[in-house]
Amino acid sequence: MNLILQSKVPNFWAQPFNSQGLWMGVIGGLIVGILLFLGLMFMPAQFRRPVVTFCTFIGGAYWVLLYIFPAPIDLQKTEMPTGPVESIGKWLTDANPVVVSISGTVTAFMLGLGIFSLLSIHLKRISRRQKDWVYSVVLLVSLVSMTFFGYADYISRQGPEGTKLDLQANWGLVNYGRDLLFDGLLQQMDAAMFSVIAFYILSAAYRAFRIRSVEATILLSTALLVILSLMGAVAFIWNGSVQHLANGNDFLLNFQLTEIAGWIRRTFETSSLRGIAFGVGIGALAMGLRIWLSLERTGGGA
Amino acid sequence: MLIAEAVGQQYRETGWFGVLFTAILVSFLLINIQRAKMGKNLYIRRIAGLNAIDEAIGRATEMGRPVLMVPGLSDNVNAIAVQAINIFAYVSRLAARFANPILLCCYNAAVFTLAQEVIRDVYQEEGLLDRFDPDSVRFVSDRQFAFAAGVSGLILREQTAATFFLGEFYAEALIFAETANSIGAIQVASSTEATQTPFFIAACDYVLIGDEFYAASAYLTRQPVLVGSLVGQDWSKLLVIALIVFGTIFNTITVQSKTTKAWDDDNGVYKDVSERQNDPKQSFIQQLATPFLPKMEVERPKDPEAEANK
Repeated sequence: MNLILQSKVPNFWAQPFNSQGLWMGVIGGLIVGILLFLGLMFMPAQFRRPVVTFCTFIGGAYWVLLYIFPAPIDLQKTEMPTGPVESIGKWLTDANPVVVSISGTVTAFMLGLGIFSLLSIHLKRISRRQKDWVYSVVLLVSLVSMTFFGYADYISRQGPEGTKLDLQANWGLVNYGRDLLFDGLLQQMDAAMFSVIAFYILSAAYRAFRIRSVEATILLSTALLVILSLMGAVAFIWNGSVQHLANGNDFLLNFQLTEIAGWIRRTFETSSLRGIAFGVGIGALAMGLRIWLSLERTGGGA
Repeated sequence: MLIAEAVGQQYRETGWFGVLFTAILVSFLLINIQRAKMGKNLYIRRIAGLNAIDEAIGRATEMGRPVLMVPGLSDNVNAIAVQAINIFAYVSRLAARFANPILLCCYNAAVFTLAQEVIRDVYQEEGLLDRFDPDSVRFVSDRQFAFAAGVSGLILREQTAATFFLGEFYAEALIFAETANSIGAIQVASSTEATQTPFFIAACDYVLIGDEFYAASAYLTRQPVLVGSLVGQDWSKLLVIALIVFGTIFNTITVQSKTTKAWDDDNGVYKDVSERQNDPKQSFIQQLATPFLPKMEVERPKDPEAEANK
């Protein structure tokens, strides 16, 4: 939205900065939002559902139209649409950043609720001195300090003076604070958690590859072939031996380790993954349709 | 109307095929939803992973330990997150009846808000609102590995008896599954990310693969709309299979019927090569699904205001 608003070319959705049209839009949007909010709060429960259904349908209809309705081909900022079809197409395309931005704004409010949940749980734990309450203190201190240093660092980098902070020599306390907390601690802890996966893969693979049934044996054999094919030295020796034994026989060359592993990937893995992807895609389409048309009753009875 | 207007920017690569295909799939879904609403008895096959949900909750109740649920790492409320929460609503309903504690950990604040409302409604519908603990549905973090660390810590501290990982999972999938496995929790999992499904298969007791995840709410609740939608999905899959067969046959025909001579560097001779190898756009099915419309020049009047501001 910001990019569109900053552009000098006006359209229905993006009025020029500080223009009357923009302010009218902002105030109008605010009034509609507050009215909708208050309306939903004080409305009897049985009337709430149609309002939510209507809003969901309008929201979904935009994305469906954006997908289906012909968008103008190579329309430049300095050109005008040639007819009603192109005009509607342009109108829908122009609305995209604004719709995304509305969605982002609503999500930002939700983040506030999320943080409220965190504070509620951990403040309660600290006040009642529940088990492991010290960890809650650590979490809250981290939350506050990261927010403070992150925001202060962001502010210090705004404006023409901000570029000076590209050099570490010009850093102040807040910049060092953010660097220590974000790059020095958070990123490193993220990396540590990620690296733990390597050990988990080993233990999970051990359990999965134990020979318990015919299926597990097939799994073990194929996995072993693929793993070995990725080991350069093993693949080199295996392939070299096969080439030597084949002595120009094209059929025998198929038994090179990399050929077998490639065949497994192309024939079994790719086709299976595509099958799953088709199922997941159709499932997502059905789910989306049910939500859009409010056919889905979330939390449906057992 | 200009051709450019009728075709549109987004149709340059897919033509009308994509929209037509989507429309057919949508009609399959709506027809079957209508059939189910009219009382038509529609069959759903047995899904082991979903039968295991009751078993897992029963076990947690016997042990007196909580049930942990994670609706994946969706960046916002999307179809996957809603589906996961639908399944968790069923799990929570059973847990509420047996007075079993639950924990629902959210990665995204919007998903958290939705989940909290849905789970509260479930307890209310059961007439057990006094058993609902608002802190049982919690937002943990919206950073992937901070979330992974937080949830793993909860699994270990609370010693959960049953864990449900359903939704969008990425690299953290194995961290969750192995941590829960280490304390002997019974696990039901599903990831819409095909790359993570093998990890769940290796580490979890029951795994819903692919569209079984979307079949779950229909299977569990037997609501006509959901059952009809599920049958519509099956029809759609049959159409996809038919297209694959159709495409394979037509691609083969094109490949065999159209060949050209190409220089073989290895053997130093000209040999027959299918045209498709030289140009994938030659096959019939490729042309149908991806027509690659030629670039069009459209004459349009200039916007004087935009010209002045340029």
